[in-house]
Amino acid sequence: MNATLEADPALDIVIDVKNVSFYYGAHQALFNLNMRIPRRQCTAFIGPSGCGKSTFLRCINRMNDLIDGVRMEGSLLLDGMELNSPHVDVIALRRRVGMVFQKSNPFPKSIYENVIYGLRIAGVNNRSVLDETVERCLRKAALWDEVKDRLHDSALQLSGGQMQRLCIARSIAVNPEVILMDEPCSALDPRATSRVEDLIAELRQEYTIVIVTHNMQQAARVSDWTAFFFEGKLIEFGSTEQLFRKPVNQQTQDYITGRFG
Amino acid sequence: MTAPPDKKPVRYEIAASTIRVDRAMQQFIKVGGISIVTAVFAIFIFILWQILPLFAAPKVEEDAAWSVPPGPHAAMGVDEWSALAFFLDREGELTFFRIENGAIHRQRLPLPDGERMTASRYHPKRQDIIVGTDQGKVLFVHLNYRASFLDGARRVEADVDASPALLVGAPGHAVLDVDMDGAGGQKIAAVIQDIDGRRTLTAALVSQRRTLIGGGAWRVTKQIDLTEQLAEPPRKALLNERADSVLVLTAGSKIQYFLRTGDELNLVQTFEPFPPESGEILADAEYLFGDDSLVCWSERGANVIFSLFNQPGKGRIFGKTKTFPALEGGVTGYAKSVRNKAFLLTGPKRASLRFATTEAIRWEHDVPYALQGGFIGPKYDSVWLLDVANRLHRLAVHDPHPESSIRAFFGKIWYEGAAEPKYEWQSTGGADEFEPKLSMVPLLIGTLKGTLYAMLFSVPLALLAALYTSQFAHPNFKRFVKPIMEIMASLPSVILGFLAALWLAPLVEQRVPSFMLLILALPLSSVVFGALWNRMPYSIRKHIRQGYEFIFIVPLLAIAAYAAWKLGPLIESMFFVARDLSTGQPVADFRLWWVQTTGLPFEQRNSLVVGLMMGFAVIPIIFTIAEDSLSNVPPSFRSASLALGASRWQTAIRVILPTASAGIFSAIMIGFGRAVGETMIVLMATGNTPIMDFNIFSGMRTLSANIAVELPEAPHHSTLYRALFLGAMLLFLMTFFVNTLAELLRHHLREKYKAI
Repeated sequence: MNATLEADPALDIVIDVKNVSFYYGAHQALFNLNMRIPRRQCTAFIGPSGCGKSTFLRCINRMNDLIDGVRMEGSLLLDGMELNSPHVDVIALRRRVGMVFQKSNPFPKSIYENVIYGLRIAGVNNRSVLDETVERCLRKAALWDEVKDRLHDSALQLSGGQMQRLCIARSIAVNPEVILMDEPCSALDPRATSRVEDLIAELRQEYTIVIVTHNMQQAARVSDWTAFFFEGKLIEFGSTEQLFRKPVNQQTQDYITGRFG
Repeated sequence: MTAPPDKKPVRYEIAASTIRVDRAMQQFIKVGGISIVTAVFAIFIFILWQILPLFAAPKVEEDAAWSVPPGPHAAMGVDEWSALAFFLDREGELTFFRIENGAIHRQRLPLPDGERMTASRYHPKRQDIIVGTDQGKVLFVHLNYRASFLDGARRVEADVDASPALLVGAPGHAVLDVDMDGAGGQKIAAVIQDIDGRRTLTAALVSQRRTLIGGGAWRVTKQIDLTEQLAEPPRKALLNERADSVLVLTAGSKIQYFLRTGDELNLVQTFEPFPPESGEILADAEYLFGDDSLVCWSERGANVIFSLFNQPGKGRIFGKTKTFPALEGGVTGYAKSVRNKAFLLTGPKRASLRFATTEAIRWEHDVPYALQGGFIGPKYDSVWLLDVANRLHRLAVHDPHPESSIRAFFGKIWYEGAAEPKYEWQSTGGADEFEPKLSMVPLLIGTLKGTLYAMLFSVPLALLAALYTSQFAHPNFKRFVKPIMEIMASLPSVILGFLAALWLAPLVEQRVPSFMLLILALPLSSVVFGALWNRMPYSIRKHIRQGYEFIFIVPLLAIAAYAAWKLGPLIESMFFVARDLSTGQPVADFRLWWVQTTGLPFEQRNSLVVGLMMGFAVIPIIFTIAEDSLSNVPPSFRSASLALGASRWQTAIRVILPTASAGIFSAIMIGFGRAVGETMIVLMATGNTPIMDFNIFSGMRTLSANIAVELPEAPHHSTLYRALFLGAMLLFLMTFFVNTLAELLRHHLREKYKAI
């Protein structure tokens, strides 16, 4: 752990990562990670492809469970609750930890039904609650004005950026504590990207956001904290400003200046 | 040094062989595609071509006319080859008229010495003339047509065989009307005479004495005077070939029906074909071919048919079954076909060829001459009309399918002997007089019934299996299951039919309650297992990898199935106790219980067996296609749903299933198409009875099985042959219609759930 910078101990920590390793079958993908992610701030994971940052992101809401033959070691605490335990109610966990994917994936349903999907599966059917949630979430996702007249049209008619904002609205509808974003802007054009980034900046007032990105400018723009991963190891973690200005580690330095990656 | 401007650089040049192969393949594919479309279309056209004649109007055209000896004629007719016509005048002289050259040959009927013919009746089926004399004698004369072949040409000759004169009724009194009919050694005769101003009707039972050398002399064994029982004076007696009844037309408009029981004749019915309030007066009545129906017409030409059928509380008596439009101008002559249920009515200026079974006028036309009568050629290939100027007109009839009509195939028809009009399929019977019953409706119902039960069984199983395999099971499991299901789909259906008929049907018959329990126990035990599994401690659950939970459920299902199987007889003895009809003792027998409780039949080869076995044939098809479409739902939907906290089941039901709905719909429809067209299983595992109910414990006959069953019995180009093609066309249209509808719906669903 030569170059790990612990976040300020004074901060309110929501995710505490202790010695996490991860294996795809016999292949080890993450090596002994330690990290503390602060509440209501935006933390960015950067690093070259295949460095394990997305794998680690999916450890946080246990989406890796869907893959056959994976194994996690170490301790991952969400508000003090151990996530790496068979007794975890994965469904409840995923309500607390929402996720936005690289490729926007609205369901082939109406905009309205997309937003309230999480509530529907939780058994909420009260019309006024649902209506209120749709408006609140779409407003938060800065999509309300664009779609308020066609809430019951198919979500698949939206543009790529609108779809991604709809996915964000969908994930905040269940009121999570943490929102994981896996390269949310990689399929968007610069205009749509900038809108989503504005949205992230808004949302981090209320939610803890963990974002994986290939785009270092984006990490610099939206995040408070940045972690640099390389070959399954956490190389450096610190405040965004410090990591980009004065990286401690040479590899970080090389990566952010574009020598590799 | 520059290249000429029109020369392309080498790098843009394509090898000539590549272009040639490309073009050749393009043409080849084009030809192949067009041939397939043409072939399908040609099949459709061919089937259409085969069924169109069923609905064609008959062709009736005059092709020749001859002057014949003047009448009036008591009877006329022609031989089977339409070569030698005969006319019987009222004096008892028989004139044979050779059609080919107009040669005339006269012959007197061999009457007893010094006696005159005063009444006659002609039976065209057996070509018998019944003669009554002025001395009260009755004899029957058989027209004996013989064909001989000389130098390859057919020559028809005729002579007459006469029975000795029998005395029926009062001797010495002229016979005013006579009939005699019967088959074998038993006949019945009836004469009407005028005795001192009183009309009498005498019936006689006539039998032939058996001798060692064959038929002996005919003699009257009993005479019965029916006059006393008549409501009105008699004017005509009608007898039938079964020699079991006497019908009497009275001077008024009544018909009286006497039924023979042993040596007795009892009046069972008196009826008026035309009720007095109708204003019609009965002119005459004659039997139709088969002697079961009576064609009645009024003086103004109204035409109805009465048939014998069982009426509640009254027994088998005559009732009105058909009403034809009136023949304008009244009826001057009647003739029946001896091939089918057609009959000819002639009016003064009009002739009408009608078909009794379908209540249809085959042909009706004004003729430019006044008619005195006519007859139908024995092969139903000609109609002969005799005008008042004694010219005999031959009309060629081309009507190969008189019994077919839209109504015969799709409507209710009141067949002879039936108590009401109904949909019925029974294409062939034992006798010439049989009316083919060609309704497609029972076959359509049977097809739908078989399909319905098969789909009830197969759709839930196949869809749940597809859902499980694609969404819950381990991918390794799927790699193993899918090819097995695909092999199942290619099992020859004759094997399934064989299993259904010889193994499953007897098993189901013995163990209906067990099967009912199985249907309950298997889903129930799965649900119970699901509930228990979630409550099981992690220490047990962790040993099972996700997607391999079935290792636990399979033994449980086996136990549940075994228990259901063993508990069946117990359930039977508790709830399905019926009374044994032979001993009167209560027995636990579902079959008896079902029949006694519901009143519906229980057959061994029933819809349950067909549903199970045809379901087995359909499951792999639905499974494979549904599984493919479920697996093709983008995994991102699944991730999105799971990341929002949905369970695997919620994800499957709320996201995966609707997104795959177009494909699932196709799967069901392709399964439906297979079930509709499936032949061998229904052929072997049902009784093939064309019935019209949805009782699960009775069989059915489907359109496809019908074709297979009847094909060997259908002569080329016969009505049945074409009716089978009509069945094929219905199948074709049914699948075409269902598939088109399915395609439209599928398209709609695909638009709705189009993935990005």
